Amino acid sequence: MIWVDLANATINGIVIGLLLALPALAVTLVFGIARFPNAATGDFMTFGAYTVVAAKSLLALPLAIGVAMACALTALLSLFFYWWVFRALVRRSPVASLIVSIGIALVVRSTITFFAGQSQYTIEVPLVRAWNFDGVRIVPTDLYIAGVAVTALVLTFCLLHLTPLGRRMRAVADNMELARASGINVGRVMITLFAIVGFYCGLGGVLIGIKAVVLPELGWELLLLLFAAVILGGIGSPLGAIIGMLVFSVSQEIASLWVGASYKIVFAFFLLLGVLLLRPQGILGKVRAVR
Amino acid sequence: MSLLMLEDVAAGYGDTDVVTGVNLQVGDREIVAVAGTNGAGKSTVVKAVMGLTPRLSGSVVFDGHELTRIPIEKRVSLGLSYVPQVQNTFAALTVLENLQVVERVANRSQRIKDMFDLFPALADRRRTAAGDLSGGERQQLAFARALMSSPRLSVLDEPSAALSPALTAQVFEQVRRCPEAGAAVLIVEQRARQAIEFSNRGYVMDSGRIVLTDTSANLLSNDRMAQLYLGQH
Ligand SMILES: Nc1ncnc2c1ncn2[C@@H]1O[C@H](COP(=O)(O)OP(=O)(O)O)[C@@H](O)[C@H]1O
Ligand SMILES: [Mg+2]
Repeated sequence: MIWVDLANATINGIVIGLLLALPALAVTLVFGIARFPNAATGDFMTFGAYTVVAAKSLLALPLAIGVAMACALTALLSLFFYWWVFRALVRRSPVASLIVSIGIALVVRSTITFFAGQSQYTIEVPLVRAWNFDGVRIVPTDLYIAGVAVTALVLTFCLLHLTPLGRRMRAVADNMELARASGINVGRVMITLFAIVGFYCGLGGVLIGIKAVVLPELGWELLLLLFAAVILGGIGSPLGAIIGMLVFSVSQEIASLWVGASYKIVFAFFLLLGVLLLRPQGILGKVRAVR
Repeated sequence: MSLLMLEDVAAGYGDTDVVTGVNLQVGDREIVAVAGTNGAGKSTVVKAVMGLTPRLSGSVVFDGHELTRIPIEKRVSLGLSYVPQVQNTFAALTVLENLQVVERVANRSQRIKDMFDLFPALADRRRTAAGDLSGGERQQLAFARALMSSPRLSVLDEPSAALSPALTAQVFEQVRRCPEAGAAVLIVEQRARQAIEFSNRGYVMDSGRIVLTDTSANLLSNDRMAQLYLGQH
């Protein structure tokens, strides 16, 4: 029986890992390119999830349109805060941007609570029966969620490695001064960065809202996990963020077979400490000598 | 009128100016060398030309444009290019991407071909990340990246740093050919004597000021100054 439980926990861990890889990617991209840890990432997710709730309950829109709205509006929210505050902080210490992003997180969360209250919501999707293979269960909804997440992740890698825009983003991440001296408009790169990042947070928030329940603390409570996954994978490495998130969520789900829910996150952090002991730069992080 | 003209430029980083009272000109298709000991402020002067110093006063005019009012990324289209002293390539990008990423290049694919003809060693390594290149290849790439935009002035900060004498000779040969291709050069060099030999004029800096400027021939024949500032190589 243990193998069946392990298989189910692994499948569940992979689905959650893939969808949380979207905001983890958002964290690592902002860190790599705009050079600060964006603590508003989690609450942007919450905003996305609530947008779908509002679109369905207030406007009675179909789910697909609600999801598209959530991604678009979260992208706008992210852009808005870039334009309003982060833009002015580009030349300041990353700590300034970090603190400000914590403030933004708080503002977004309180605004949501003000309008939606503390109660829980669910994002209803058509119920489909799970496929059962001798006890190993696969829920079709999970497959859709995983499919959407994988598509978004693959598109990111195409964007980063196959398009001129992605090339510019990687150049700015690598060396901002040289990028400007090569004629790259860093401001424009930042605008696309924050739009993409907002889009991912919105999408990730909706997907986690479908998988779990929607409450005001949804994203904030995931933030530490997102940061930890990014560190585990190697700060600034997009593939590392995805791997880090997968490792984390699979190990958490497996740990929860033996320990209570509140301990499984502790388990994840032990894993992080263990990996960092062996590879301080994270799984895919590079140690780059300062020349 | 000179292509580049610095008048009474002061520049620095925190609360103080590191260089002051800098007057410097580079004419069209001229090669001008800047020499001086470590820490004299040579890199700071060329960074000031590129707009990369947090503090800057005075006037920097390039081809009739007051540069201090022009965003850094727009200077490329005016015909200015820059090779920094350190981190002069995008380490995470491939050789090819390092060339592709330069903006405002007319006929980019042809230009990339030209660069690979000029630096054949790079053509063989076009899919290699710049961070994995040897020191010599990396300096060539840095130079090629700066030439992508067909600049009218290339600002080079110690392009021979950490290179063997043979590779240095190669890089210098490329610098020497810039004027034929229509580019003037402002070059900072540790190997000052060598650099001044192929330059038209030179400036010598010490403690944040220009202490001497003359034609290359005069600088090299000025024994006392040469002893003091140019060293033996
Ligand atoms: N980024 C920086 N921040 C603060 N001080 C700097 C920076 N870069 C250089 N300096 C200082 O400016 C002075 C001149 O440096 P630099 O222009 O690099 O000299 P050079 O290129 O002639 O060796 C040095 O005293 C150095 O310590
Ligand atoms: Mg220097």
